[in-house]
Amino acid sequence: MAKIWVVIRREFVERVRTRWFIISTVLGPLLMIAFVAVPLLLARKGAEERVIVVVDATSAGFGRRLAGTLDQAAPLRATWLPTPVTQIEAASDSLALLIGAKALDGFVIVSDEAVDDGRIEYRGSNVSSPRDMQILSALIEEAVFTERLGRAGVDAGVVRQAKIPLQLRTFKVAGARTTASSGEGSFILAYVIWLLLYMGILLYGVNVMGSVVEEKSTRIVEVLISSLRPFELLAGKILGVGGVGLFQFAIWGVCGAALVDRRELLLRLLGQSVTGGAMPAFPEVPLATVIVFLLFFLLGYFLYAAMFAAVGAMTGSEAEARQAANVVVMLLVLPSVLMIGILNDPDGTLAITLSLVPFTSPIAMPVRWAAAEVPLRELGASLGFLGMALVAVTWVAGRIYRVGILMYGKRPGLGELARWVRTA
Amino acid sequence: MTAEHTVLLEGVTKRFGDHEAVRELSLLVPRGSIYGLLGPNGAGKTTTLRMIMNIIVPDDGTITMFGLPRTGRDLSERIGYMPEERGLYRKMKVRDLLVFLAETKGMARNAARIEAGQWLERLGLGEWQDKKVDALSKGMQQKVQFISTVLHRPALIILDEAFAGLDPVNAQVVKDTVVRLAREGTTILFSTHIMEQAEKLCTAVCIIARGRKVVDGPLGEVRRAHGGRHVVVAVEQGVGSAERVLRDRSLIAKTDEYGQYAELELAPGADAQRVLAALLEAGARVTRFEIAEPTLHKIFIDNVGAEAASVPAHQGDARG
Repeated sequence: MAKIWVVIRREFVERVRTRWFIISTVLGPLLMIAFVAVPLLLARKGAEERVIVVVDATSAGFGRRLAGTLDQAAPLRATWLPTPVTQIEAASDSLALLIGAKALDGFVIVSDEAVDDGRIEYRGSNVSSPRDMQILSALIEEAVFTERLGRAGVDAGVVRQAKIPLQLRTFKVAGARTTASSGEGSFILAYVIWLLLYMGILLYGVNVMGSVVEEKSTRIVEVLISSLRPFELLAGKILGVGGVGLFQFAIWGVCGAALVDRRELLLRLLGQSVTGGAMPAFPEVPLATVIVFLLFFLLGYFLYAAMFAAVGAMTGSEAEARQAANVVVMLLVLPSVLMIGILNDPDGTLAITLSLVPFTSPIAMPVRWAAAEVPLRELGASLGFLGMALVAVTWVAGRIYRVGILMYGKRPGLGELARWVRTA
Repeated sequence: MTAEHTVLLEGVTKRFGDHEAVRELSLLVPRGSIYGLLGPNGAGKTTTLRMIMNIIVPDDGTITMFGLPRTGRDLSERIGYMPEERGLYRKMKVRDLLVFLAETKGMARNAARIEAGQWLERLGLGEWQDKKVDALSKGMQQKVQFISTVLHRPALIILDEAFAGLDPVNAQVVKDTVVRLAREGTTILFSTHIMEQAEKLCTAVCIIARGRKVVDGPLGEVRRAHGGRHVVVAVEQGVGSAERVLRDRSLIAKTDEYGQYAELELAPGADAQRVLAALLEAGARVTRFEIAEPTLHKIFIDNVGAEAASVPAHQGDARG
């Protein structure tokens, strides 16, 4: 068994030396930040400014105040256009021409009845954007609300007081202890965990497959198995490549922790002020989460690497292997497709099922663990099922591998594969 | 290592589905011999060597190595195996690759590093040891492959079609090294379908066809058992003067005259010595009388027929 170490060392050293490893270690976190930050930024900042006109047919100056409210809101530039009721259609026609010429995005028509029955009309080129319409209707609603209160004789100061927006701060309770993590923070943590697990298992699993295919297609495998048991070769390969994955995570972990530790210094260097409130919320990463993450990464990686290795062994070339690996990749993609479902309801049936089924649990369980409180017995059951699946899959994959690495020619069908497993 | 036979096969059979690749094969490779496993493509040579290496398991029969009831992989530190299908890791540095392969055979890392360097120097690849395999020419890669087979000082070297695909220069290098190692006491077991090659190198052979043994034993014995039926004769004033003897069908079955000499095939039961006596009696002055040893090729053809020398149609993919 000492020979396993020889295989592990070769797989590890040869990979860590490559340009691929260095590039992916440096670029990985950058891509990750892009993956997490870009959707958040997009959601927050949104698109460009919208230019609109308020066609005001009111007599009490509500249209003017509405135009002021809209103009103050960040994504809008609103112009007030007082129009007699009889001229509304004529004004509409000329404004429509401006929209056609892309000089304008749209216009709001308000009349005196609008404040009473809440019927306000907006015509524009951006009505199909839910985000734009959401912002617009929220702003108009606020203006109408203020107007109604004013008409009812409520003091302007009281109205201003009542309008101070609500700020809901969220903190995650973990193990009966309130943590410093905000709700957004634990969402980001779950997201990062999903990304690391999915990319890690997929990339390193495919790496194992590539290694099997290389040995088979260069025919060095026959020399290797004349001195190594197929299982030694397979296990050494999977452990060696997995070691590279852990090594990469360790580099990221240490660098990440160091950066978070010195974030005040970094922000100051970037010219940001460091007042308590402006400090970005960094999710707290408890040790238990790290352990759960590593445990499921390793077991999940072993499970998928064994399947990828079997696929590699039954095909003859990299291209053929990638095609045949689609079935395995689908299994891995499944929990990712359903990620939003898991995060929206981490204690729902979907989340619980996915975190117990062996092929999806390596990704689903750690994500759930980061997003919500998972009972320990569920964690234990998930690990138990995963362990059993791992033994069964490795047994079958090992047999396919043993026969496959010496077989050349056309790819075996299912019946042929079953025969390999029986006779190996 | 005290066993007299390095490799001993007894009644070994291997089937792939309906196809019987090797059938009840028994052979022994004496310690220190250069042993040739001969036969046409598809005869079962590779299958036999793979069973010896425990890469595939026989359906029947036993294989004993170095007198131990174990097969190749368990004894890989004593065996150097070069398969017919060869390959190297293309992205590895030459010396790292050699060290890795030696380690998989149980050699210590440091010793492997030192000896890999020496072997590379010896075969003219000293400057290439830190280059990637990719950068080497095909011929250089063949040398590296060969070094990986012998680096860990095996007591038994198994070469499957060792010379196939080698350029003439490398074939010479490999042959010289094999002969030198054999002289130092290493047992060599190699397969080939080229009989002439085996004739020059082997001390013992086993000829197989369609998975069955045709003949085996020390080369001299094999020849003697199948030889002695052909005589080359030359007499003064041409063979015509001995015509009466050459026509004697109780002595000679067939005559092939070349003017200066004749090739005779003895009649069944006839003795070459009686032919010589008859020639002298007839007054011929004999200048050349040679009992010709048959070539391995001829022995093979005589035993299995020319038709068996061709490849059977249902030969399996990786089962040569």
